[in-house]
Amino acid sequence: MNKLSFLLLLLSISLSAVAVETAPATPSKSDSKKITPISATLWLERLSIALKEVNFNTSFVVVKNNQAEPYHWFHGVDENDMELEIFATLNGPRRDILRKGSVISYIEPEVPPYSVDSEKISGPIPAILSGDISSLASSYEFISVGRSRILGRVAQLIRIVAKEQDRFGYWLWLDQESGLLLKMAIISRKGQLLEQVQFTHLEITDKLVDTLQQLKVAELPSVIGDVNSYQDQELSWKVNWLPSGFKQVKSNRHRILATKQPVEFVLFSDGLVDVSVYVGASKDKQRDVEYVMDGATLVLNQVNNGFEVSIVGKIPSATAKAIADSIRLK
Amino acid sequence: MSESKLEKISSLVDNFRDSKSQSEVLFEQINSDNTLSETWGRYHLIGDVLRDELPSEISLDLSAQIAQSIADEPTVLAPRKSTFYHDVKAKVVQFSKPFGQVAIAASAAGLMILGVQQNVAQNDVVMPSQVAQTTPLAGFAAPVSFNTQSSTRLSQKQTYIEQQKRFQALLSDHHQQIKLSVPRDVAPATLSTKKVEDSPK
Repeated sequence: MNKLSFLLLLLSISLSAVAVETAPATPSKSDSKKITPISATLWLERLSIALKEVNFNTSFVVVKNNQAEPYHWFHGVDENDMELEIFATLNGPRRDILRKGSVISYIEPEVPPYSVDSEKISGPIPAILSGDISSLASSYEFISVGRSRILGRVAQLIRIVAKEQDRFGYWLWLDQESGLLLKMAIISRKGQLLEQVQFTHLEITDKLVDTLQQLKVAELPSVIGDVNSYQDQELSWKVNWLPSGFKQVKSNRHRILATKQPVEFVLFSDGLVDVSVYVGASKDKQRDVEYVMDGATLVLNQVNNGFEVSIVGKIPSATAKAIADSIRLK
Repeated sequence: MSESKLEKISSLVDNFRDSKSQSEVLFEQINSDNTLSETWGRYHLIGDVLRDELPSEISLDLSAQIAQSIADEPTVLAPRKSTFYHDVKAKVVQFSKPFGQVAIAASAAGLMILGVQQNVAQNDVVMPSQVAQTTPLAGFAAPVSFNTQSSTRLSQKQTYIEQQKRFQALLSDHHQQIKLSVPRDVAPATLSTKKVEDSPK
């Protein structure tokens, strides 16, 4: 009898001890939940600053369609605060992107090298990550999820989730120490991994590396002048529906490089995702909707009454179809 | 060993054998061993000489002569011929087997060709009749809505490479246009405002 009462006493003491342990933990959790929206934005702002100001030299692979494309990425700032940057593919034909301040050069096998006067690099890493991330806040939510180990470092996972169902989600793993990107994944609404960027090496240096010193003295291809005059041509049709936050970047008439097909073209962007809309005459009278995915990039193509409509962008097929169906003649 | 054997042979020749089984073993050995059989023949000859039972004509190698005469006899050739025939037969089997297989394979191929030709011929005959039957009956072969893809599927497969080229061209053009787009500081007209502008037209 005595033994039993002693056991009960022991049990009650241990239970109370557990209660004491858990009690302070719960408020701290709710605290972290309260700060998350702010801290996720802070993390992204820190990333943006790091991508602009830190001298780094890194390698990554873009994994899509069961293939891995390796890249080398150099970034640095010289003594005159000019940004120098190189994206170089390591496999296959050379596709390099060079940047000296606001001059960006694209070296590709299909076309002669050219330069553009722009602040925004169109490469494997979304340009907005080094830009004003708060411009995304109207259509995306930033969620701080948790910590994990990426590239042998402590990483914070930040999710960029669209408020509507019509876009993909971006998951970013950011280095705790430097704030730089360690991994990125594009995830569908159903949680399917569509495209992934995994960093394999990261080196942060105080001074510019030799490669960037060479770029500094190198002569870049001549800048294509007056791109703006070529933009914003009046077209005979318009898109009546777009997901919220998308704005028209430009419209023009041009020939598609590979097929020489003349098209009327509008480019839309929500800051993170670019969507191209093509309308042109077709040899075929009618063709049903066809979809192709290149990683996260969807291509929609259909012919209706001799008009060929194509949508290209990192959007779900339902969104692309809705955009295509909303096209009307003015 | 051979001494004791010779003794045994001599005693056997002189009809002094110890047991039936032993002598049988000895006979087998004599039969199989040439030197022993020669000894056996010599001992008998010696015995004949001693007993004065020699024939008028002495033939020392009788067994060899017999063997020779057997070989010379035409009846003796028969078993030899039979073995030769066996060899040939085995060879014929070896030769004829692959030939037979080839023949079977060729005939099977011929059948297949026939069958394919027949099938093609049948298809040619059947296809129009199917179309002729189904179109007036149910009409499921005719595309009614955009969802019916049966007729366009065929053309899709034919123009598969063209389709891939088209998608590739669109993808690269998309990337190209993004690269050539220069973000402007002037706030771009949003869709809603554009709509308002466009509506009076």
